[in-house]
Amino acid sequence: MENRKRGFLSKPGVASVVTAFVGVIVLMVIFWMMNPNFVRQNNLMSLARSICPYLLVGIGQGIVCITGNIDLSIGSVLGMSAMISATLICNGMNVILAILIDLVACLFVGYANGVLVGKFKLPPFIGTLGTMTICRGIAQLVNNNYNTGDIGMGGLKDLFRDTFYYGRIGYLYYGVIICLIIWAIFYYVMSYTATGRHIYAIGSNVDAARLSGVDVFKTTTVAYTISAFCSFMAGLITMAAAGMGSMQAGMSYEMYGVAAAVIGGISTLGGSGLLVGVIAGASVWAILQNGLTLANVPVAMRNIIIGFIVVACVLFDIMRRNGVIGAKKKAA
Amino acid sequence: MSDYVVTMEHITKTFPGVKALDDVQLHLKAGRVMALLGENGAGKSTLMKILSGVYTRDSGDITIFGKKIEGDLNTKQAQALGVAIIHQELNMCQHLTVAANMFLGRELTKGGRLDNAEMNRQAIEQLAKLGIHDLDPDEAVGNLTVGRQQMVEIAKALLINAKVLVMDEPSSSLSNAEITEMFRIVRELKAMGTAIVYISHRLQELHHIVDDVTIMRDGKYITEGEFNSFTMDQIIANMVGHEVKNQFPRETVAKGKKILEVKHLNAGKLVKDVSFDVYEGEVLGFSGLVGAGRTETMRAIFGADPKTSGEILLDGKPLNIHNPGAAIRQGIVLAPEDRKKEGLCTKLSIRDNIALPNLDIITLGSKTGKINKKVENEMIEKGKSSLTIKMADAEDQAASLSGGNQQKVVVAKWLARQSRVIIFDEPTRGIDVAAKVEIYDIINELKKQGVGVVIVSSELPEVMGISDRIIVMCNGKITGEVDPRNTTEEEIMTYATQFGDHAAPASLSLAS
Repeated sequence: MENRKRGFLSKPGVASVVTAFVGVIVLMVIFWMMNPNFVRQNNLMSLARSICPYLLVGIGQGIVCITGNIDLSIGSVLGMSAMISATLICNGMNVILAILIDLVACLFVGYANGVLVGKFKLPPFIGTLGTMTICRGIAQLVNNNYNTGDIGMGGLKDLFRDTFYYGRIGYLYYGVIICLIIWAIFYYVMSYTATGRHIYAIGSNVDAARLSGVDVFKTTTVAYTISAFCSFMAGLITMAAAGMGSMQAGMSYEMYGVAAAVIGGISTLGGSGLLVGVIAGASVWAILQNGLTLANVPVAMRNIIIGFIVVACVLFDIMRRNGVIGAKKKAA
Repeated sequence: MSDYVVTMEHITKTFPGVKALDDVQLHLKAGRVMALLGENGAGKSTLMKILSGVYTRDSGDITIFGKKIEGDLNTKQAQALGVAIIHQELNMCQHLTVAANMFLGRELTKGGRLDNAEMNRQAIEQLAKLGIHDLDPDEAVGNLTVGRQQMVEIAKALLINAKVLVMDEPSSSLSNAEITEMFRIVRELKAMGTAIVYISHRLQELHHIVDDVTIMRDGKYITEGEFNSFTMDQIIANMVGHEVKNQFPRETVAKGKKILEVKHLNAGKLVKDVSFDVYEGEVLGFSGLVGAGRTETMRAIFGADPKTSGEILLDGKPLNIHNPGAAIRQGIVLAPEDRKKEGLCTKLSIRDNIALPNLDIITLGSKTGKINKKVENEMIEKGKSSLTIKMADAEDQAASLSGGNQQKVVVAKWLARQSRVIIFDEPTRGIDVAAKVEIYDIINELKKQGVGVVIVSSELPEVMGISDRIIVMCNGKITGEVDPRNTTEEEIMTYATQFGDHAAPASLSLAS
């Protein structure tokens, strides 16, 4: 048998994460060469802030992917979160109370997803397609099919905007710090707790997990609820940035979440992947948006380029894995 | 009676439409291995699922360690009472580590945080009790061989203090060396006083470890007793319900012309410069350890895996095979190792499965690719009657058939088109004695019709009993060729362990 001490890179999932971070550095160098403004302090600061929503939905979708499921409701829950909080605040409700009500509504959607998929065994694609549509409808309904007006200034409203978007300490916006704390908490849950271990286990082999005494329903529900919580936070950040609630907020974000997770090395088939990778995955996404904008690439072209790069990233990772591990039948 | 650790009396279980168990009994003693024998569908697995709480019984009494079970027994209770089951299809999380799998569902934590160091320590300790000292608890289970994964399952069972261990076909996918290792562990468990239920279709291996037998047939208890008090013929007769005259009915047919020629084939890491010929009227057997490259060779010939170099000639003409479709059109077909995963679309009907590789024939003459029901029906009827597939309706899911009948459906797929060479990879794995003989009869029939038959088998008695010529592989190379009529298992194993300059692994004691 080989040596007990294994190399850092040979640990499962680590190589994918390293690849993703290398990708981040390469992209940054390319954009730096294309436009020196890319690495200016102001741009880097706002770049870090623009990563936040992608990172949050990437964490949520990543965790759900590790259970072997998918959460299509992420974007709609984000929109719902922005619309509910903004509408309540515009109608004069206390900001903290509004956020709490918003939180309960979003977590309930996550719980419902868990019940549909974990208890009633709906295919996750169908179950969350349903909640996705319902939640977008709710986002439109709360303010009678209008976007909200500006949430206004003063008191807690200023504190809210500062905390989630405008305020900063040194070079770091508070929003970035909040996201990193959320990331650290879920990283800990996934890597160091029995709950995290169960999330990996049901994604790897749900029958084995059940026969070993893992509560599959509970574990599925925890994953979906975490995802809903992440969408809720991303919704608040989006709302704070705009100063209003938009019914379109979060459109397609469930797919951005998939992209951030997959670029970061999380398999959509479940059972594997590390949450560290999502930081790189979300960064790649945000850097591409930001860098291509600075390089004056028109929106339509940007989309095409980003699409190709995402496919290339994942293709590269698959080829690298096959090269290293050998193309033999991997237990998918 | 008190020396029994488990007694099951008058157990009855009915599934919709089927009486799966009818007044069955079972008695287990500590420190003894009980072979539970019977054909597929005899009810062995159902009985064991009742013992481990996966199914609930309709009626009957279960006593475990003197505790009479009142009402339904669930998996948690069964585990608490010390009953563990190792399923035929291993139930492991491939992505998780050895230690994580062993502690799954009962993780050790310290202040809410996983205590990996302690779990690793205990995992090593448990494995050491089984005499396994070289397994890294941090290794992902998916990187281990099937044999090793099974050791982890056994160690996991010991971790919950299993005193009754049910092993459902533990040897079916192990190499001979791994089986030897598994037997050693079973003996260790016996010495610790564990009662073991051992389910296996490999009757030849039983005498190595088995103390007692219980035989079932068609959901009924037939007989039980000490293993040594039965002859093998008596055991088989009790399982099948009648005598099986010849377990390996080889028919000799005059060897004809060369059909298939494989020259210097290279593919991947496990096919190195492989050359061999297949003649009309012979069954060519491939033997070797698991991982010797036999399956890989066949997959490369069939176009399922890419080749790096080499030539394949059929009836003297070189073939160009880049994918299985090309191989099928040119007359070479493969009945793969894993029936459920690769041989059949189990969720589709029997009809669809048989038609699938023959849609070119079925849609012949139609410009729009319309399925010709008449041709299709004839094809299914032919397969059903010539192979005696036992099925209620061709529209039933392939998954509803027994293993033996599933294998016949796989064969029927290929009989529908005049294939020149049929490759069988482990054709009888997990199939009962009577169905095995039926598969051998089909192989003999093909041989008589002039089809070139290649069979890959890890069961030495089978490959020696049914082939006319045996090629032995080791580490991707052909290391020997023997005539099964005058060879020994020892000779085959010598070839199978010729790893080249590096010393062969320590002597292998064999199931014979």
